[in-house]
Amino acid sequence: MAKALLLALALGCCVSGMAWLALAMKAHWQQLRGTQPLARRTVWTLRALGSLALLVSLILCLRADHASMAALVWVMSLIPAVMLVAFTLAWRPRWLSWLVAWVPVQRTRT
Amino acid sequence: MFNSFRLSMTWLHTWFGLVLGFVLMVVFFFGSLSVFDREIDRWALPETRFEPQTMPSFDARLRPIFEQIVPEEEELAAARERVGGPLLETLPLMNWNAYTTHRDPVLSLTAEFAVKNNPDDPYDHVHGHVTIDPRTGRILPHDDLNLGSDFFYPMHYSLHLHWLDLGYWLVGLAALTMLAALVSGVVMHRKIFRELFTFRPAKSTQRSLLDLHNLTGVVALPFSFMFPLTGLIIFAGIYLPVSETMLEPAAMAYQQAEAEKNGLPFQPAGTAAPLSSVDAMVAEAKRRWAARDMPGEVGFLAIQHVGDVNSYVSIYRAGSDRVALVGQGVHFAAPTGRVLYEEPPPPVVFGINEFLTGLHLQHFEHWLLRWLYVAGGFAGCVCIATGLIFFVGKRRVRHATQGIAGARWVDALSVTAITGMLVATLAMLVANRLLPAQLDHRGTWQEGVFWSAWLLALLHAAGRSGPVQQGRIAPAWREQCWAIVVLALAAVLSNWLTTGDHLLKTIRAGYWPVAGFDLTLASSAALAGLTALHLRRREHRHAPSAALDDEVASDAGAPEVAHG
Amino acid sequence: MNSLTLQRAQIVSRIAASLLGGYAFAWGFTTLGIVLGLGLGMPYGEAQTLLFLLAFLVFLVSFCWAFAAKSSARVWAVLAGGGAAMTGVAWLLSRVLAS
Repeated sequence: MAKALLLALALGCCVSGMAWLALAMKAHWQQLRGTQPLARRTVWTLRALGSLALLVSLILCLRADHASMAALVWVMSLIPAVMLVAFTLAWRPRWLSWLVAWVPVQRTRT
Repeated sequence: MFNSFRLSMTWLHTWFGLVLGFVLMVVFFFGSLSVFDREIDRWALPETRFEPQTMPSFDARLRPIFEQIVPEEEELAAARERVGGPLLETLPLMNWNAYTTHRDPVLSLTAEFAVKNNPDDPYDHVHGHVTIDPRTGRILPHDDLNLGSDFFYPMHYSLHLHWLDLGYWLVGLAALTMLAALVSGVVMHRKIFRELFTFRPAKSTQRSLLDLHNLTGVVALPFSFMFPLTGLIIFAGIYLPVSETMLEPAAMAYQQAEAEKNGLPFQPAGTAAPLSSVDAMVAEAKRRWAARDMPGEVGFLAIQHVGDVNSYVSIYRAGSDRVALVGQGVHFAAPTGRVLYEEPPPPVVFGINEFLTGLHLQHFEHWLLRWLYVAGGFAGCVCIATGLIFFVGKRRVRHATQGIAGARWVDALSVTAITGMLVATLAMLVANRLLPAQLDHRGTWQEGVFWSAWLLALLHAAGRSGPVQQGRIAPAWREQCWAIVVLALAAVLSNWLTTGDHLLKTIRAGYWPVAGFDLTLASSAALAGLTALHLRRREHRHAPSAALDDEVASDAGAPEVAHG
Repeated sequence: MNSLTLQRAQIVSRIAASLLGGYAFAWGFTTLGIVLGLGLGMPYGEAQTLLFLLAFLVFLVSFCWAFAAKSSARVWAVLAGGGAAMTGVAWLLSRVLAS
């Protein structure tokens, strides 16, 4: 697969991975779903998805370059990934809703 | 002195961060620009806007040019100072070298000449230098400035302050402070993982600033730690000159032993000998690299003791395919072309050093990684800038009520170090395009514009920071943001007007050094404009407290004051 | 000396100890480390490179400790004193190795 495509996919996995890990935290879950409770099962699933995505990202980096370069690229790609997730959660949390689409939206009764 | 570890680290972070923060802004900003220094050179020197070239034939193209190189006037003048009198008629030629990377269209050629009559230094020498177009052998004019590699890049490690090497020491101190600020920052912040994604722009300014400071500080922590550390390691010879002082005998003995082991003659013999085909040596070097499973191009070529029977040619590989600064030097006897010494894979300690310095110096060919480096560098800049702004914000109101000017002056210095630095950089870029092409000392003129613009920014910041003493935001920030918008757009426009290389043309042609830089300039203008608008809203929001201050003033007997 | 002058003097002393003492400690560590490496048969170039890799981390730790420590006198003793001592031992050992 073309190097550019591999790296693009790696970046994508990095961003989604970080987003899933963020959403597994109550404060950030609430930025997206408001007061809807965060079930323990959901937390585990989100953490698993996040870790898996980060791992896939690393593997894709390793397919694109040799080991030391790939590790460096992966570590550095965490920087824009985390910043993007933090800014999206702060300003446009709805853009991340597809990442937790399988969790039904619970409208809390007032 | 402090009641707890955390308090001591907070003090350290705050006060060393404040004092060295201004220097760190400069280091991180120009360091980030340096990632693309050679691309910025292309923007600044339109006659070099062509594709990168490999090193051409030495025998056919380079040798005749080398033979024409003479010592530079400036260096000769400095040498006369050192010697304390006139130099010899003709200075004997010592060595030649040529350097290129996978990003360079032009080739840099240097010749070194011996200054024999310096009583203090038997190894004293001067240089002659030319830059050529490798495709044709044409020598490029001398008077202009490589903005990226000869101004922005040295700025980040020396501040262009060479008196007593003061710039290097200041940058070294700043690097140590950055490391200490990161360590103390983690001690202060503690919840670095739990609060990794925390950014609350809707809350108070101070809260949002601190969130952004923590976010950029933590997310780029490995990067922001490795860069100052590797920077210090790279210049360790300056900061800990043990081999030139206390341990000099052992160091010299080692150099002698190495020279004997390599079989590379340390001194010329004094007998003339011709130079055989260097192209054949290059071919042999490339064959040997390929045989070691690392095929490559020539990065650095050097000939020692030119024209002497002891002369040898050293050929190093351009390390564009890995992080470690590789050399794989192969050394040949110049008169015969015989291989004298092929450098073996380095021992572990050297290997680690090569990897770490390679991390910093970025000889690798990987465009995504370079952009990620810029992202990390800019994250560092945002971290330092938000720190300074947070410092002022925390003390602005208190100092206003107590009548202290501290916050005001820190604010003025912050404006100078942040927006002022951008104004100076952009002014220099505009000057680069608009100054007459044939101007004598064109490079010096551009440097003059840079420093003058920065000085003006300082004066403007000082003059327009008065409101801070009333607990309000200084309009200097907004005004300099508008200056950035104007200058950045002017830079893009003047590139178009003076070279015809506008964005549509460069993007279509795929000439990314210029297209990328123009796009960066345009984005900077947009970002500065948005910031200026945001600041105007902020300043108006703070106005009610101005009314409060006016009431306080009127209590002290001042005449009727206008509200709002 | 009034309380404010005493406080200022303490701060100046700490800063001086952190920078000057820290530097002395790093210098001593580096020179002693190189000489010990030479004694163990390391080539000079390798010993120097290894110590340069470590020296700034040592400086960083000393620097932070200089502010965290309770007593300024102790900081001076350990960093400046220790640095001088290590430098002295390194110098003596280098003499021994050279002969």
